[in-house]
Amino acid sequence: MMSKQRCNAKEQSGKGAKKNLRVGLLFCFFTSLFLGVVKTQAQTIRWTPDATNANKIAVEVIGLSALTRQKIQRWQPSQWQRLFAVYTATADVAMLGTYRLQGNILRFAPQFPLEPGLAYRAEFRTAQLPGKAGAPPVISTFRLPPRNTTPTTIVTAVYPSSEVVPENLLKFYLHFSAPMQRGGIYEYIQLRDDQNKSVELPFLEIDEELWDSSLTRLTVFIDPGRIKRGVLPLEEIGPSLQAGKSYTLVIRQAWKDSNGAPLKAEFQKSLRVVAPDREPPDPKQWQINAPPSGSRAPLVILFPEPMDHALTSRVISVMDTTDKVIAGQTMLAQQERQWVFTPTAVWSRGTHYLRIQTTLEDLAGNNIGKPFEVDLFAGVERHLKTSAVTLPFAIR
Amino acid sequence: MKRFSLFLTLVVCCVVLQTASAARWTVGMAEGKLELKSIGQLTFGPEGILFVADPKAAAIVAIATGDVKPVTGNPLLKVEGLNQKIAALLGTSADQLLIEDLAINPISHNAYLSVSRGRGAEAMPVLIRVKTDGKMEVVALDSIKWSRADLPDAPADKTIGEGNRASNPRRESITDIAFVDGRLFVAGLANEEFASTLRAVPFPFKSVVNGTTVEIYHGAHGRFETRAPVRTFAPFKIGNADHLLTAYTCTPLVQFPISDLKPGAKLQGKTIAELGNRNRPLDMIVYQRDGKYYLLMANSSRGVMKITTENIAGAESILAPVPDKKGMNYETVEAWTGVDQLDRFDSKHAIVVRRAEGGAMNLETLPLP
Repeated sequence: MMSKQRCNAKEQSGKGAKKNLRVGLLFCFFTSLFLGVVKTQAQTIRWTPDATNANKIAVEVIGLSALTRQKIQRWQPSQWQRLFAVYTATADVAMLGTYRLQGNILRFAPQFPLEPGLAYRAEFRTAQLPGKAGAPPVISTFRLPPRNTTPTTIVTAVYPSSEVVPENLLKFYLHFSAPMQRGGIYEYIQLRDDQNKSVELPFLEIDEELWDSSLTRLTVFIDPGRIKRGVLPLEEIGPSLQAGKSYTLVIRQAWKDSNGAPLKAEFQKSLRVVAPDREPPDPKQWQINAPPSGSRAPLVILFPEPMDHALTSRVISVMDTTDKVIAGQTMLAQQERQWVFTPTAVWSRGTHYLRIQTTLEDLAGNNIGKPFEVDLFAGVERHLKTSAVTLPFAIR
Repeated sequence: MKRFSLFLTLVVCCVVLQTASAARWTVGMAEGKLELKSIGQLTFGPEGILFVADPKAAAIVAIATGDVKPVTGNPLLKVEGLNQKIAALLGTSADQLLIEDLAINPISHNAYLSVSRGRGAEAMPVLIRVKTDGKMEVVALDSIKWSRADLPDAPADKTIGEGNRASNPRRESITDIAFVDGRLFVAGLANEEFASTLRAVPFPFKSVVNGTTVEIYHGAHGRFETRAPVRTFAPFKIGNADHLLTAYTCTPLVQFPISDLKPGAKLQGKTIAELGNRNRPLDMIVYQRDGKYYLLMANSSRGVMKITTENIAGAESILAPVPDKKGMNYETVEAWTGVDQLDRFDSKHAIVVRRAEGGAMNLETLPLP
């Protein structure tokens, strides 16, 4: 309110209020320093942050005379936009937002918060006012402090964590320490052969990008056309990974996180490729190390091969003697060859069960009872009817 | 007077029938504010109803846009620097904008674009309408008629971790949606298990929507059979039967009759074309020219491919290894470069979003080849 009164003092200066004018000018100068006000002629543009969100800025024209207010109060929003509009940098398309005339203030509330570091320009076109043809516009620019783009985000893990992978490896999971940016991600992921030459189009590039909801984990599938037997890409240019060769998965430093900062460092993972794996995982071959009853010692399963990190963490449950799921924490160890489950409560004596969804995959995408590829000529059993298998174990 | 009464009765009947038809599709829709968590694939259904994928919420939303005034004349659309103009409208820079999909309202010919304002975790979903007069606006979602179908996740999903960090990292990307004869087809690809689902969800949506989920297989050369992710698809009539023409992520073009989509079915489509290496399909449309049907496929690595469907009814499944492309013939439309989004505009034009120089994206209508 004080600000409005002081800035109006300038417009009223013709009435001889010299003292008020001096105080008003002084006040507007300091206000412009602290609130981003640019003042020319009678009207002033002010950028006012919202109390709850510093990026939500209202842009206000203050110092409208009573006559001006009277003239424009019945205007349509489109007329207000012709009179007063806010733009990004040098754009000529006005930003979306709502207008309101409140007292001697014409207020524009942008529909979206302002972007840190981006320049904005507000134009109050005085010439649009009746009787003011040819009057120069009032222009004000504003910029929020830029985001901190000091690189801090790192690649925390890449799965499979084993260096040795089958030729028909199906996917990588890339884990980051902070949310990343979507869009154009494949230019930051490279597969280089042992001559340091990039493998051409090794990944399944889909626009939707397979992120988790926090944008800290990305799934990268190897192009299935470069894995599947009997399809053209494999016959034309061969597999993305070839048995007997070594590769390096490179995650480039230029990849930006959600703040717009590049990664702290490039990440490299060495790969040694062995023969393709076409055998579905068989829970009967798993070694179950059952803990003693009365303890909270972990239950440990040893797999004969490394398993898919995400699925193995999620699709195996432990059931008690009454078929209830036992609460606890799961972790993988030994390069995804070991599943470790620590219960919240102590183990009770009796027969327990592992319940394993058949969607569980090994590194080559073979499911339980369902290989990634079925050779119809080989006459293998193709499907299990159930979507989960159970495996009993005794707690003594 | 009697004749006038008859005329009036007919007019009233027409209006009532039209209203009843429109109401049929908006059954169960709530009127109010729609909050999307994200925005992705778009497709139009009947009566100006727009289906919008919200992959973060694992849902499809049907919006009654009210945009049902038929187009007059033959206006064509062209917006140069589309991404820069949308970014300016939303108060951001073009590099912080992702154009997710494009759909044309077949009634009004207005273009709808799903965009994300921001590329990070705080990205905001926005629906943009570009009218045939070139005017661009945000479709207000504060007070509209809408309904929603939640896509069920895989069974027994569970959270990983504890406390504030507990989350379920499994998500399913919605790679394409299409409306055919009262059902919405939704293709999805999970970020964990390598499984492709195709769901058929009856519309209007019911309160609990399980739809029909089928596993799609790709049989290469009749010998090897694998699960296969569907990238994009287009409804297509072969004879009198509705089919889906489906482009897989691993090159083949496959057809299967919609009548085969039954709950829990394992579908193996008929491979009608092997499109070979570097085939990365983005979008597909079907159109008719000189009495023949063609398929136009936008492709991130090969430009746009025009595929004849002349012999599709009698096409045989490709069963033997082939040295190069096989099946339906295709040609690359050389002039259509940098196409990221593609939809049918009218009977003579397609509409595309294509990359231009200096990072600009243009929206333009192009004569169908």
